[in-house]
Amino acid sequence: MRNYNLKIAGYKIRLESSENGPELVPEDRFKRSIIHDGAWDILIRVHNGTYNLTEEAERVFVAPYVVEIKGIKIKKRENFWSVYKHCSDLFITTNFPDSNPKKKAFLKLSLNSREWDLWLEGAGYETDPLEYPLDGLVLYYLTAINDDIMIHASGIYYDGHGYIFSGVSGKGKTTMARLWDNLGARVIHDDRLIIRNIDGTYRMFNTPVYKNDVPGESPLDKIFLIEHCHENKIVAAKGASAVSHVVANCIQHNYNPEMIARFLGSVSIMCSVVPVSTLYFKPDRSIIDYILRHE
Amino acid sequence: MTDLKSILSHSANIVTRKTGNEYVLVPIANNIADMNSIYTLNETGAFIWDLIDGKRSVEEIINALTDEYDTDFETAKSDMFSFMNNLKDYLIIK
Repeated sequence: MRNYNLKIAGYKIRLESSENGPELVPEDRFKRSIIHDGAWDILIRVHNGTYNLTEEAERVFVAPYVVEIKGIKIKKRENFWSVYKHCSDLFITTNFPDSNPKKKAFLKLSLNSREWDLWLEGAGYETDPLEYPLDGLVLYYLTAINDDIMIHASGIYYDGHGYIFSGVSGKGKTTMARLWDNLGARVIHDDRLIIRNIDGTYRMFNTPVYKNDVPGESPLDKIFLIEHCHENKIVAAKGASAVSHVVANCIQHNYNPEMIARFLGSVSIMCSVVPVSTLYFKPDRSIIDYILRHE
Repeated sequence: MTDLKSILSHSANIVTRKTGNEYVLVPIANNIADMNSIYTLNETGAFIWDLIDGKRSVEEIINALTDEYDTDFETAKSDMFSFMNNLKDYLIIK
């Protein structure tokens, strides 16, 4: 394809290959998010080749390449992706160690612009312009622009209520989603969600991670911070404690004070409206009954 | 070395958000691996944080604590030095 439009978490993203750009072949996980609406919130022009970053650009943030083997995180290289800043422009460079070691990407964006440019080097004639980690990076900056929240969490909708179960890797997000799925609840996602305030109401949205992901959203009524335990227990979290624990589970690039302040504002306001509790749970059906009894 | 006459300022490498009578503090980080620390200040910690202004000495802040919380100087001094030790990376001490 020369171009296509995606709708993810309500954001309309147009991918458009430039004259010398590659054929755009979205991975299966994106195919259910393709829309045929011409309107877009953000346009990403895709080019072949590389972009020569000015020497004046400063590297402001870096993520190492980390793999998790049997619950142990191992850093395999120092630089997976990086963010550079020059004037009001941001530049994200990344490589793709899992799929194509020769492929590199260079995304030029601005928080004040709706038109971004992506250069792909060593990608070949056909490529997915949003291959991991670019998809998450693009979505993160869309949340930053819109004062939304991207969070490590599973989300379910059951009997008119939307619940988020948030925690970092190993806390039980997938387990919780599976338990609710067995009950017939709609699982919005089991790993990564975007929370948006739409016309005064908080809603959660999934983001395409797995091959069979379908777009999903629901109202958000409660946030649980999950912890494995030998008994089921709900402890309400309030004030700064609630905000800090939710923040700790969110995806964030904390190099810019202004961005941090806006993000903290978004989470604080959400936590003043959406109840937050710590949920200690046994990983079996009893936790579902416990939640339904107490909600 | 910090003593009672030291003057405290906030470092620029942390961003704060007041929530009721408490604070959430998020350090600025340049590596995703360094983003593990988020701090909260309870009401007393927030009271101290608000008094840190680049002008007041440690002793003045301790005296303000004794006035506000009806506590003795030694207890307030212990709390104050504990606070400074916990947040030493985010305070400028002169």
